[in-house]
Amino acid sequence: MSTPKLPVSCPSCSSSLQVSQLSCPECQTQVSGNYPLPVLLSLTPEEQDFILQFFISSGSLKQMAVQTGKSYPTVRNKLDDLIEKIKQLTPEQS
Amino acid sequence: MKSILLNPFERYTETQLIIAGILFTAIGCFLGYFFNCRFDGVLDFHTHSNIAIKQPFIDNGVNIVSLFIPFLILGKYINKKTRIIDILAVVIVSRVPLYLLSLINIGGGVTTMSKEFVGVNPADIQLNPLTIVILLIISIVSITLLVWFITLLYNGFKTASNAKTITHKTLFGVAILFAEGLSKYILSIIN
Repeated sequence: MSTPKLPVSCPSCSSSLQVSQLSCPECQTQVSGNYPLPVLLSLTPEEQDFILQFFISSGSLKQMAVQTGKSYPTVRNKLDDLIEKIKQLTPEQS
Repeated sequence: MKSILLNPFERYTETQLIIAGILFTAIGCFLGYFFNCRFDGVLDFHTHSNIAIKQPFIDNGVNIVSLFIPFLILGKYINKKTRIIDILAVVIVSRVPLYLLSLINIGGGVTTMSKEFVGVNPADIQLNPLTIVILLIISIVSITLLVWFITLLYNGFKTASNAKTITHKTLFGVAILFAEGLSKYILSIIN
């Protein structure tokens, strides 16, 4: 059975979802509140995977291009688009 | 297969693309020589009776330079990270479909047909059905190869510069027209 995907946007209105409840799988303690999702969790699984690969390859786009079988500009464009998306998600930091 | 034909720039490294591009350019120049074709402009192709071996090489050299300059400037304008080597690869590889145009003049058929029509009043031209069919096939093949060239150029430029907006697409069109004018100007000086 595949791991369920964490939904990051509302299926009804497409707004960003927030965390309202966390629970301990061991003792069943539940914490309720209203917490924004961390920026990285707001990205799609593919985008998260891209960032992870970028980190693992020490930020070498050339190495990433070789590993993914894509050309260097294709990987660089994806990174630029991702940076732009993250800037939009965190307007106070850009 | 579709991605190789329409957008090889997404997958292959700049070195692979440039080596393949140079190889196909050389083959294209020899095809132009063998079938008496000139690539006398970025968007031009004409058949002749007899051409020197150096002519297709000069034509294609000028066409590559004429495309490279405006697209490098435009690429840098759109995205400062655009690399010279990527634009060069795009320009060299995208012209490959145009070299195939030489094959329509195998046996000098197009040259012979052209001679029959030159200087004749268009109203007086009598075409038999076979000639009409041949002209139609040549037209379809030519347009298809031209569209293929522009598709490769656009996809490659988009990959090299991360061009996205309508303005970028419009500037892409302007750059092709500028390249055409530049190539015609340079060739008129050289020849």
